Amino acid sequence: MPSDALERHREATSPLHRLDARVKLIAALAMVIAVIAMPVGAWRLYGAAGLVLAFAIGISGIPPGEIARRWLGLFVPVAFLAAMLAPSHPARAAQGLAAVASSILARNGLALMTMIVLAGTTPFAKLLTGMRRLGVPLVLVATLQFMERYRHVLVEEVERMATARRARTFRRRASLSWSLLGGLIGMLFLRTFERAERVHDAMIARGWTGAIHSLED
Amino acid sequence: MVAESEWRVNGPAGTPGGATTMHIPDAVLGPNAAIATSLIGGAGLLYSVKRLERQLGERTTVLMGTMSAFVFAAQMVNFPVMMGVSGHLLGGVLASVLLGPWAGSVVVAAVLIVQCFLFHDGGFSALGANFVNMGLIGAIGGYAIYAPLRRAMAGPKGTLIAAMVAAWFSVLLASGAFAVELAASGRRGDFLRVLGWMALVHSLIGIGEALITGLVVRFVLLRRPDLLEPAGGIVDRPAAAGHWIQWVVAGLAISLAIAAFLAPFACESPDGLEFVGQKLGFLPDESAAPAPPLPSPMPDYQLRLPGLDQAGLATAMAGVVGTLVVFGLSWGMARILPRPKHEGATLDAV
Repeated sequence: MPSDALERHREATSPLHRLDARVKLIAALAMVIAVIAMPVGAWRLYGAAGLVLAFAIGISGIPPGEIARRWLGLFVPVAFLAAMLAPSHPARAAQGLAAVASSILARNGLALMTMIVLAGTTPFAKLLTGMRRLGVPLVLVATLQFMERYRHVLVEEVERMATARRARTFRRRASLSWSLLGGLIGMLFLRTFERAERVHDAMIARGWTGAIHSLED
Repeated sequence: MVAESEWRVNGPAGTPGGATTMHIPDAVLGPNAAIATSLIGGAGLLYSVKRLERQLGERTTVLMGTMSAFVFAAQMVNFPVMMGVSGHLLGGVLASVLLGPWAGSVVVAAVLIVQCFLFHDGGFSALGANFVNMGLIGAIGGYAIYAPLRRAMAGPKGTLIAAMVAAWFSVLLASGAFAVELAASGRRGDFLRVLGWMALVHSLIGIGEALITGLVVRFVLLRRPDLLEPAGGIVDRPAAAGHWIQWVVAGLAISLAIAAFLAPFACESPDGLEFVGQKLGFLPDESAAPAPPLPSPMPDYQLRLPGLDQAGLATAMAGVVGTLVVFGLSWGMARILPRPKHEGATLDAV
């Protein structure tokens, strides 16, 4: 199951973990907006933001190595984009190519680490409750809650189906053919649709009216 | 995440072994573009949710939640392209063909939110832009192309061809929208160059997306053709029969996509690229003194990517070839569909 690497940090009990999800959500949004609004080459500002982040990472107890690993995982595509954008960036003439490209990279890294700290200290369910309390429409939040519930179920289902298909059509080649994989997705859709109908019937039988209630409410 | 064997069901971007990112990360768009797209995206999402809720009532949550999870799981299935490179479904058009445009855009939004918050694929500040590109333009715009085409070509064959053509154009339109957003971030000099490159790369991605979408739609057509009926499917899709606005939107969308391919020609004339670049922002200020004659034939102010000089020609070629390939593929796949008289039999077999 593709659970993210941060999952096991989420149940820890640092002060950041205990903070209200709404506060963390707003703080993360403010941080990301502040970071992307910083001008190119403002290294001191980046440094200041980095210090704030380092402090937050320190409190959260997420191992810095873990964060570095995830940052590196997304580094290559972002670096490619930065290299593509830097040559024609308005600030390029004044500051040079390398400064512009590394500014984009640095700000992206800061925003990314903010999101990692947010995700690493807040279970997704709490994040969604926080969104709901901040005024995100109930339908959307409930949809996301449902999706989070069934995401794992369906990923496991597609893995089982692929294993079964491999067992039945054994070949030396590692990968399945496109039409088999397309059929796999089609089958997954039909099964998902039928599952949704069953789940919905069961929920109606239990008095579903459209809102998810949890013990925290 | 499981240690996958080679049958390629992988984690999303950011996880080890996951695909590379497709979504716009933070700090690539300027704050103005980020805020503008967030407002547009937020408004579009609210509208879609309202439309959907009116249609489905309390059924919305269950159906949208499971279908979002379906698209998320479908994106894990990696299609081998060649030499270790693999691609996966994006799913915007597939979702709106199966569920209607409003549901399609809500599904895309849910997938993007989960990818952003849990897997850090796509920036928080770029969430709006990603939704505009893939949800509003990809899913709803794709449906605007799909619906009239489908009506023009009746029967399951028409459904399949329309879905594949819409998938191909929606990928192109989304990439064009990204180029516009970059230009709005104050990098106007980039516009034509980025547009050309985006169109070139995405004409390949679009063929893959069209092919996967077609394979899935064909499977559903064979097993449960009733789910793809215009009315009486899972969601009542807007059946406003032959509404002229649909034709206008579809025509506009297709001509915009074609314009994306022709745009690089605007700068294909000798030094045209450099001229546009200087004029629009490669230089510090466009209102600055007229550009001094460049000292060397290879000025270093622009990243030299291989084949850049032929970008215009290559992009236009990619557009023509890609369109033909998608038409050919969809035609070929439609031939394998059962004729209408067999449909009853297929239904009984399910």
